[in-house]
Amino acid sequence: MHGWVTIAKWEFIRSKQRFDRKSLLLLFILLILLTAASYAAVRTGLNMNNDIYQVAVTDPDLVSIIETDQRFEVRIVDKYTARNIGDKADVVIIGTNVYGSGTRKSAAAIEALKIALKNYRESVLISFNDINNTHPVWLTIHYLERQENFQVLRTDSGTPATSEGSGTPGSNQDEISALEREEADADETVPTTITDLQPKSNGKLFNEQEFATPTTFNPPIPFTSILYSFIFVFPIYFISQFYSSSIMDERTNRKCQLVLVAPLRGMDIVIGKTVPYLLVTMGILGVVTLFIKGLPLDLEMLKNSILILAVLFPIVLLFFALSFFSAILSRSFKELTFATVFLTVIVSGYLFFPAVFANVHVVSSISPMTLIVHLIEENTIELNEYIFSTLPFYFVAVSVYVFGTYIFREEDLFTQKPITEKILDCIELYLIGPFGSVFLLSIILIPFVFMAQLMLIVMLFNLPFPFSVFTMIFLSALIEEIVKSIGIFTLMKKGLVPMNFKSAVMLAVFAGAGFFVGEKLLLIITLAPIATSVFGLVMNMGALLLIPLIIHIAGVMIISLGLYNRGVKYYIPLVVLAGIIHSLYNIFILRGVLFG
Amino acid sequence: MADIKITPRNVISISKKEFRGLKTEKTFLLIVLIQFFIALFSTFLVFGLASFYDPSALGELKLKNTNIALVDNNNNNELYQFFGNSRVSLIPYENFGDAYTDFQSRQVEAIILISDEPSQGYGIINMEIYLPKSDLKAILVSMQLKEPLEKFEQSVRDIRIKRIAGYTPLDLNIMDESRTSSTYFEFLYVALLPLLMFTPAFISGGVAVDLITEEFELKTLDLLLVTPVSLLDIVSGKMLLTVIIAPVQAFVWILLLMLNGIVIYNVAAILLFVLIIALILVLASSIISLVFKERGLSQLFYSLLLIISFLISYLFTNSPLNLITRLSIQSIGGLESGLWIGGYSLIPVILFVVLIGTVKSRYTNR
Repeated sequence: MHGWVTIAKWEFIRSKQRFDRKSLLLLFILLILLTAASYAAVRTGLNMNNDIYQVAVTDPDLVSIIETDQRFEVRIVDKYTARNIGDKADVVIIGTNVYGSGTRKSAAAIEALKIALKNYRESVLISFNDINNTHPVWLTIHYLERQENFQVLRTDSGTPATSEGSGTPGSNQDEISALEREEADADETVPTTITDLQPKSNGKLFNEQEFATPTTFNPPIPFTSILYSFIFVFPIYFISQFYSSSIMDERTNRKCQLVLVAPLRGMDIVIGKTVPYLLVTMGILGVVTLFIKGLPLDLEMLKNSILILAVLFPIVLLFFALSFFSAILSRSFKELTFATVFLTVIVSGYLFFPAVFANVHVVSSISPMTLIVHLIEENTIELNEYIFSTLPFYFVAVSVYVFGTYIFREEDLFTQKPITEKILDCIELYLIGPFGSVFLLSIILIPFVFMAQLMLIVMLFNLPFPFSVFTMIFLSALIEEIVKSIGIFTLMKKGLVPMNFKSAVMLAVFAGAGFFVGEKLLLIITLAPIATSVFGLVMNMGALLLIPLIIHIAGVMIISLGLYNRGVKYYIPLVVLAGIIHSLYNIFILRGVLFG
Repeated sequence: MADIKITPRNVISISKKEFRGLKTEKTFLLIVLIQFFIALFSTFLVFGLASFYDPSALGELKLKNTNIALVDNNNNNELYQFFGNSRVSLIPYENFGDAYTDFQSRQVEAIILISDEPSQGYGIINMEIYLPKSDLKAILVSMQLKEPLEKFEQSVRDIRIKRIAGYTPLDLNIMDESRTSSTYFEFLYVALLPLLMFTPAFISGGVAVDLITEEFELKTLDLLLVTPVSLLDIVSGKMLLTVIIAPVQAFVWILLLMLNGIVIYNVAAILLFVLIIALILVLASSIISLVFKERGLSQLFYSLLLIISFLISYLFTNSPLNLITRLSIQSIGGLESGLWIGGYSLIPVILFVVLIGTVKSRYTNR
C-alpha cells in the first residue's frame, strides 16, 4: 500500500472525530437559520436603501405613490412649512411642482423620483389591461453572431476591417434567408397579454430578454451568472479553511514530527492530507451541480455536468494549493487567516469579474467561471477554451504544491521564520536540487506572471484609458523583473555562487533567456485568443524576437550586476530600476497604439 | 467565583501582547490590502456594469456615433425624429439582406425592423431588434437606443391613451433640471460605505477566533492560567484589541473618503455604531471559540453566523447596513438613530452575560 493512502485514511478518521454531536447540532441549526434568512431576503428584496431620501409633499395623494419606492420617506406638510423647509428635506413637492435643495443628495433624489414616477405610470397603465393602447410599442430582441473583433479600448466602430467579412457570399445568403423566414414567423409571436412582460423561465436560468417595451428594455448583463458561480465556489471556501487548519494542525505541537520520522516522503504526506479534502469537495460540488442542473436524463446532460466538474477541478486545486502554502508559511493562526482571506479575495476577483461579461465579451474567457456560465446555459465548450482558461490554474497550483513540498521539512515547519525567508528557502531548495537552474526557474514561474498580469487587466479595467495602460505596463514589467531575478537574489543572498562579475553576468543571461523561452512557449499554447488586444500586446511584445530577448536579459542584468556591486540589500531599488527601464522599452514599442 | 473577575491591568497587558504579535507579523498590512481590494472590486462592479444601465453615469466617456440600420418598407418617418439628439444615426435600408451584409462588415451595429402599424392604428407596433451577440457593443447600442425608443413609445401612447376612459396621467413639473445620476450617489453611500465600515468588524471577529483557539491548540492557555490572570482576563484582553482596531480602521476609511471630497455626516455616531457591531461579532466569535476550542470548526461557525447576520442586515429599515447609510447622508433624525443605536447596544450586553456563563462552565468542567 502506498504511504499516502495510509495518511489519507488517518485524515478521514480524524476529521470525522471533529464533528461530535454538539457541533453537528449547531451546524444543523445554523444551516436552517441560513436557509430561513436567505428565504426572507429573497421575499422582502434588498432593503439596504430604505428611506434614504426625504420628501415633503403638500398633496396627501402623492404619499402612497412616492412610497411605492422604498428609497423615499415621505411626510405631509402645509404650504408655509414647505416653502421654508430648507435642508430638512431633499425634495419638496408643492402642489405638482417638484423642488430640490441644490445638494448632490437632492439631485440624486430627483433622479430617483423620476424613475419611481415612471414605474408608477407603468403599473397604472398595466392595470387597464388594454395592451394595444397602453403598451403600443413592442421590441423583440435577437442576438446575431458576428465575427469576433477584439476591442477592449476602442469604442469607435467607423473602421471596419475589410478582412473581417464572414464566410463566403453563398453562406451569407443562406443565413439571410433563414433569418427572413424566422422573421416571417415572428409576426405570430407578437405578445398579446401583459404577462409576456414577465421574463419567461423555460428551464433556462439565464434568460436574455426576448420581449420588452422600450421602458422595460435593458442591456444584456447576466448578473445571475455571478450568483450561480458563487454557489459553486462557496463550498470551496469552507473546505479549504478546514484543509488549511488541518495542515496547520500538523505544525502546532510538532504533531507532524512523528510522521516525518516515519519512512514516508514529504510528498506522500502532502498527497495523503490533500486527497480526502479534494474528494469531499468534488463530491459536494457534484451535489451542487445536480441541484442546479437536475438529474442528468441523457448522455448529453451527463457530459455537460461532468464538464462543469472538470472546469471546477482546477479551481479547487488552486484554492487548496494556496491554502496549503499559506498554512506552511504562517507563523500563527491569524496570519493564516489573513493570508487565506487575502488570496481568496484575489482569486475570487479573478474568477468572478470577467465572468460578468460572460455573454458580452471574449475577454471574459480568461476566467473558468465563464465556461461554467456557458455550461449552465446548455452550451458546450471547446477544448481550446478549456485549456486557455484552466491551464494557468493547473500550472500555478502544481508549482505551488511542488514548492510547498520542498519546505515540508522540520526546519521550516516548526520554526518561526518570516514568510519571505521561507519563500527563499523554497527557491533555494529547488535551485540546489537535481534540475535546479535559474533558466528553468524563470520558465516555471511564468504561469504566475501570466495570472498576475491577467489579474491586472481585471483590476485596471476601471481606470481611465491612458492611465490604465501605463500602470499596466509598469506593473507587468515589475512582476517580470521580480520573477527573473528572484533566483539570482536567492543564490547570492545564501552565498551559493561565487560573487564575481562572471557569474553575475552568466546568471543574468540564463535567467533572462529562460524567461524569454517560457514566454514564447506560453504564447504558442494559450495567448492566441487575446493577442490582438492592446493589453495582450503589453503582455507579449509580438513578432520581433531578438530585441525582446535582449531586453529580458538586460533587465535582469541590471539587477544581477547591481547585487554584485552593491550587495543584496539593494534588491528592491534595483528591481524598481529594472522595471522602469523595461517599461520605457515597452512604451516605445507600443508608441503607435498609445499615441498614434 | 474569583475565576470570573476581571482585572483591567491584566486585560490591557494581554491586549498589548497581541498587538505586538500583529505588528511583528505585518498582518496589519494584509488587513489593509484586503479592504483595498474589496473597495477596488466593488468599484469595478458598479462602474463596469451599472453604468451601462444608466447612460448619464457614463458622462465623460465619449461615445462615437453608432450607425443602426432601419429596415422600413413604408418610410416610417416618425421614428427618425426621436433620434435627432441622440448619438445614434438611423440609416434606412430597403431590405434585411443588405442590412445584414453591412452588419457583418461592421458598417452598422444593429438592425431594427419595424412593423407597418401607424401610431394612430389599433395594433401593436412591433420592432425586431438584432444586436451583435457576445459583444460589448450590444450593451452600448441597447443603452443608446433606450432613450429614443422610450420617447417614441411615449409619443404613440399620447395618441392612443385618449382611448382609455378614466386615465389621467400624473404630471409633476420638475423645477430642478440638474441631471445627475443617482447610481453613483447610491453606490457610494448604500453599497461602498457600509461595506467599508463593517469589513474591519468582520475581520476582527475572525482574528478573535484565531487568537483564542490558538491558546487552546498550542496548549499555552494552561501556562497563562498559572500566572495571576483569569481566563476571563485573557479572553477580554484579546477581545479588547480586536474590538478597538475596527473603529480605527473605519475612521481611516472615512478620512480617505473625505479627502476625496465625499461628505459624510454623523461620523461620531457611525464610529460608535461600528464599535457596537465589532463588539457583537467579537463576543459571538469568542463564545464560539471557547466552546469548540478548535480553529477549523470555530471559523466555520463564525463564517456561517456572519453570512446569516449579513442576510438579516438586508431585511428591514435601520438594519445595520441601512443605518450606516442613513446616518452618513443625514437621512435619519437624532431621536430615531439614538433609539436604534441604543437598541443595538443591548445585544453585546446580552452576549457578554453569555460569555461569562461560558467561562464559568469551562471552569467547573476542569
